Amino acid sequence: MSGPWISVKNTKKAFLGVFLAALAFFQLFPLLWVFNYSLQKTGDLFGPAFFTLPAVPQWNNYVRAFVDGKILQSSINSVIIVVSAVALTTVLAFCIAYACTRMSWKLRKWVLGFVSLGMVIPIHVTLLPNFIWFGLFGLIDTHLSLIIPYVAFQISFSTLVIAAQLQSVPLAMEESAFMDGASYRSILPRIIAPMVSPAIVTAMISTFLSDWNEFIMANTYLASDDKRTLPFSIIRFQGQYASDYAVQFACMVLVAVPALIIFFLFSKWIMAGVSAGAVKG
Amino acid sequence: MKRLFNNKPVIAALVLPGILVMVFAMIIPIGFSVYYSLTNWAGIGAFKWVGFDNYVEILTSDSTFWRSLTNVAILIVVTVFLQNPVAFALAALLARIKPRWSRFFRTIYFIPAVLSVVVITALWTNIMNPSFGILNKFLSLFSTDPVTTSWLGKPATALGSVIWIIVWQGFGWALLFFYSGLMTVPAELEEAAKIDGAGWWMTYTRVILPYLFPIISAVVVIDVISSLKQMEIIFLSTGGGPGDLTQFTAVYLYQKAFVASQYGYGNGLSILFVIVAVGLTLVVQRLFRTEGEVA
Repeated sequence: MSGPWISVKNTKKAFLGVFLAALAFFQLFPLLWVFNYSLQKTGDLFGPAFFTLPAVPQWNNYVRAFVDGKILQSSINSVIIVVSAVALTTVLAFCIAYACTRMSWKLRKWVLGFVSLGMVIPIHVTLLPNFIWFGLFGLIDTHLSLIIPYVAFQISFSTLVIAAQLQSVPLAMEESAFMDGASYRSILPRIIAPMVSPAIVTAMISTFLSDWNEFIMANTYLASDDKRTLPFSIIRFQGQYASDYAVQFACMVLVAVPALIIFFLFSKWIMAGVSAGAVKG
Repeated sequence: MKRLFNNKPVIAALVLPGILVMVFAMIIPIGFSVYYSLTNWAGIGAFKWVGFDNYVEILTSDSTFWRSLTNVAILIVVTVFLQNPVAFALAALLARIKPRWSRFFRTIYFIPAVLSVVVITALWTNIMNPSFGILNKFLSLFSTDPVTTSWLGKPATALGSVIWIIVWQGFGWALLFFYSGLMTVPAELEEAAKIDGAGWWMTYTRVILPYLFPIISAVVVIDVISSLKQMEIIFLSTGGGPGDLTQFTAVYLYQKAFVASQYGYGNGLSILFVIVAVGLTLVVQRLFRTEGEVA
């Protein structure tokens, strides 16, 4: 290779780098803009300038968003609901995935087919009837009215992800354990689950993110303020502080940050999970 | 040993709890919907059995219903034919750079996909806000008069704006799907194409795309499902307006039942929506399966 070739390659590389960085900036800019606005005085937002940094950062906006948005209470509610839903979803999905991939029985194909149906049915078609149906059990305006449907709708994806990985674990694993006289109750959590832990983590994170961010069921089944989940804080603000945009923006940042932290901590797993889902179709 | 893997009580104990939750929160409610869709219930008070009247009315004279399905179809077309090619091209670029950088950019491009729709919708309604939104401020830089377009309120721009928000959120998913697909392409395949004298265009269209057919078809199926499921972004930004220009089926059935107090009618929409969603998904899946076998 002679000199000019390398320089052409380098120019190309630089061009590509600039392009990718510009795209990344374009993707992040809206978020930076929100963060920037969240530190301004609402009055300053209406100026003609394209982009101004706050003269004095108004951290007080965050205090007001946190207190008046009842962020603490909403966060606790979100954590209670999402942690229960993720735990239940994962355990139930793991059990179904195990029975449908490792055990031999006639209906297993049908059961797996039924479970995958949950990926196709839009949750929105259950919004109207569940309002009545859950009402019969006194579930409306309780945290259970979210935990139950969250589990029902997330089992599908989790089961498919875990089942895909279970298929690659050799059957000899259980056989030798059974020889030693172990029971299902001890084999499933102690031997099988650790072997598919990547799939389990992937299922858990994806369940966490979609439950944590879920809005329309939370908006429909919960009525009292002290039971609402985090995404609702933004809506409450838009009503209460209709003209106080800066505080609304602070509220948006507060709601977005936990999901972002989880994402950055576990991005490797999330990406792997998406890949698994894509390759398995 | 065989008896162990065929242990009926164990199978029941493993499978039934999950299935029962799904039946309780998904199947029984749909049964309820069927029942209420045959009534004229307003949500409270007495109601009458009206047979298939709701369905007949929806299918023959409800233009908003058909508008909502048209919008779903438009969204499917945009994601399949605009979002996917762009996402694929970007994924192909990312597959060629250093893994460390590729991971960095994929992480950034994926951020919108992990944010709550409430945050995303609030974000974009503010960006598109006619008086202080940054979009108008940006456009004002290039014009003598300040731009005051109400992007989500004007009939000409409303649907496009809503679709933009949806695509912005979904782009990271498409990118990641294609990227992980590209990672599975064996290096020998590309080398063989190169040795045969194929340029990059030929390599992609004749070798890589056909190899990735299963993944591309999976992405299209996902596009169809997620387009059908779009609701919150519309619900929180335009509410289906102006008029019914940005109406989507899931939003419409919700408004009919809970805002217009036509609970029976809303359930009729709901049932038709399930039929369309399941039917369309099956059709698209079938379409790809047979095509894949031929190819």
